Amino acid sequence: MSDDGGRLAPGQVSGLSRRALLTGAAAALPVVLTACKGVQALGSPPPPAPDVRTLEAAITAERAMVARYAEALRQVRSGAHAAVPGVLQAIQAEHAQHLTQLESRLTRPGGASPSPSASASASASPAAGAAPSLGSVLSGLETAEATASHRYLAQLGGLPPSLAQLFASIAASEATHVPYLHAARRGR
Amino acid sequence: MTRSPATMAALQAALQAEQAASYGYGIVGAHLGQGSARQAVATADWTAHLAAAEKLSSMISTLGGTPAPAAVAYQLPSPVRTAADAVTLAWTLEDAVARAYLGLVALPQLTLRRFGADQVRAAALRAEAWRGSTQAFPGLPATSLRS
Repeated sequence: MSDDGGRLAPGQVSGLSRRALLTGAAAALPVVLTACKGVQALGSPPPPAPDVRTLEAAITAERAMVARYAEALRQVRSGAHAAVPGVLQAIQAEHAQHLTQLESRLTRPGGASPSPSASASASASPAAGAAPSLGSVLSGLETAEATASHRYLAQLGGLPPSLAQLFASIAASEATHVPYLHAARRGR
Repeated sequence: MTRSPATMAALQAALQAEQAASYGYGIVGAHLGQGSARQAVATADWTAHLAAAEKLSSMISTLGGTPAPAAVAYQLPSPVRTAADAVTLAWTLEDAVARAYLGLVALPQLTLRRFGADQVRAAALRAEAWRGSTQAFPGLPATSLRS
């Protein structure tokens, strides 16, 4: 298994290699990384495959989540419940890990920029100037986490096995952020 | 749904993890305070694992396979003597269950993928409740993460 096994790049996910991925990968579970063959060295890159766009959208959403937690930390630091900043930092660190792993699955020949079509809904932060309450900051984050988790789960179809596993694991992680935030709000 | 060897292997592995968890939660519950809130959670989680094992057995049978029987006893990852040991065992069991269900997520059939992913999520949520904290990659072994 090569280091690059399982990475996605535009043009690499031909129908043939996809079938090879899907049929050959389930035996050695749950770590399934299969090399993609079929390098296209010449010519302009073809449009990104659907799963590459899915991956790019996930990367954009994770970046927005990291930024959203940075904003939330700025909002709650003054006079917040003692445990809350630590919880927010822990969750933000997990989103940063999600981002790192997602980015590691993406190779972009020619340095193409990421698709701008990715959803930015997770990045919606409260209007500057307002001073939101701790409760509203945390409940906003809970909603964003639940939405993000469901979005990963809705995208499992058509992904190569190893990427589907990563999406499912991240979806589970982000689902657990909801009770973790809730407990912080109530002072577990 | 096709009965490929990979599908069967993944379903049997998930069943085995659920059977081990069902056994383990018996130990967990026995070491938590009688009638305590934590024991009630352990009982609810134990019931969830029994139901999941039953569901997996039925899925295996539907595909023409034979569900592997549960073992009489399972080797615990570490001795359980205290309530704290029991809580550690509970989340250890959930981690193993999550790992097993990720095997279903690697299958091509979308229904099995979704089922597996829902169960990974359920296991991660139970683990969070026991641990009191979250994990970045429930069920994924560190070796499958890129550094």
